[in-house]
Amino acid sequence: MNCKELAYLLADYFDGSMDPRMRAELDGHMAMCEPCMNFAKTYRMTCRKASELRKCIEYKIPDEVRERLASFLVAATEKFPEQMEEYHLQVERERREKVLAFCRAAIEAKLSSMAALLVESHCANCRECKEYFDSVLKTRGLNGPHPEEIQEHVTRLMESLPPDEEFFLA
Amino acid sequence: MSAERWKEDEGLLERLRKGAPGAVDELLRQYQGKIFNLAMSILKNESDAEEAAQDVFMTVIRKVDTFKGNSAFYSWMYRICVNTCLMRLRGKRRNDTVAIEEFMPVFTEDGMHASPMDDWSKEVERKALNEELGMMIRKFTEELSEKYRVVFVLSDIEGLSNEETAKVLGMTVPAVKSRLHRARLYLREQLSRYLKEGKVE
Ligand SMILES: [Zn+2]
Ligand SMILES: [Zn+2]
Repeated sequence: MNCKELAYLLADYFDGSMDPRMRAELDGHMAMCEPCMNFAKTYRMTCRKASELRKCIEYKIPDEVRERLASFLVAATEKFPEQMEEYHLQVERERREKVLAFCRAAIEAKLSSMAALLVESHCANCRECKEYFDSVLKTRGLNGPHPEEIQEHVTRLMESLPPDEEFFLA
Repeated sequence: MSAERWKEDEGLLERLRKGAPGAVDELLRQYQGKIFNLAMSILKNESDAEEAAQDVFMTVIRKVDTFKGNSAFYSWMYRICVNTCLMRLRGKRRNDTVAIEEFMPVFTEDGMHASPMDDWSKEVERKALNEELGMMIRKFTEELSEKYRVVFVLSDIEGLSNEETAKVLGMTVPAVKSRLHRARLYLREQLSRYLKEGKVE
C-alpha cells in the first residue's frame, strides 16, 4: 500500500465500511507515514465542516416566487415532455464494459498489484465472488454476462482505485 | 423518514391523484422550500431555480399516476428536481467550474505524497463554522462541476444517506461514494490552500 492508494480508500476507512484486513493495512501505513496521517486528519475535518454547512445554507424562497409558482401550477395543464432515463442508460452501458475489461484482466493475470489485493481481500469475505472468480479462472473464459451481484461488487472494487489509474498492467 | 411523514405523503398523493381541491396547494406548502433550495444549490440563480421549480411541480403533478409507492415520495421528487436542473444546465456552457483534477492530491511516481502535508485539523476544529469559512466552503463547492456538485449537495447539504442519494440520482452506491470522496478531496485541498494563504498574510 502506498500513499496514493491510501488516499483513495479514506472514505471507506472513515465510514466504517472497510474490511478489517484492509483497515489494518491503512493503520499500519499511517503509523509510519506522517503526511498520510495529516492527510487523513484534514480529510476527516473537511467532511465534518462540510456537513456543518448544511445548517447555514438556506435560500429563502421569495414571496413573489411563491405566488407565481402557485398561480402557474393552478393554471397550467399542458403536456410535459419526458425528461429522464437516456443519461442513466449510457452510464449503465459504460459500467458493464468496464466490469468486463476488469474480469478479462483478472483472468489474464494482468491486474495491478493493488487491484489484485482488492480482489483477494474482497473474495476472502464474499463467497459469491470467490466462487465466480475461481470458476472463471478454471475455465479461462467468461461465459455469458456476469451475474448482477458480481457486477456490483466488481464495480465497487474498481471505484476504490485511484482515478485515471489503469487497473491492469501494461 | 418518520412513519408519520410517510403517512402524510400517502394522503397527499392520494389527493393529488384524484385531483382533489387544495392538493396542489398542499404539495407546494410541503415541498416548495425544499425544491427551491435544491434547485438553487444546483443552478445558483434565482430565476433559473424558479423556472426549474415550476417544471418540477408540473412533472410531479402530471406523473403522479405513474409514481410507484416503492420509493419515498420525496426521493422521487428530488430525482425529478435533479434531472430537471441537469437538463437546464446541459445547454449552457459553464466557464466558472474548476477542473477537479487540479485539486487532487499529488503523488510521486512511486505513490508517495509529493509535498509536505500540514495538519490544520485542530486549528479548524476549535472554530465553529464561522461565516468566512462557511462562505469559502460554499464558494469552493459551487465551483465544482455538476457531476460532483450534485452528489455533494444531496449528501452533505441535504443530508441524504449514500443510499438515498444513489436512488435520487439513479446511480450505484459505490459511484456516489466515489464522487463524494473526490468532492471532499477537492475541498480538502482548497481548504488547505486557503488556510495556508491566510497564514502568510
Ligand atoms: Zn503515506
Ligand atoms: Zn463479492
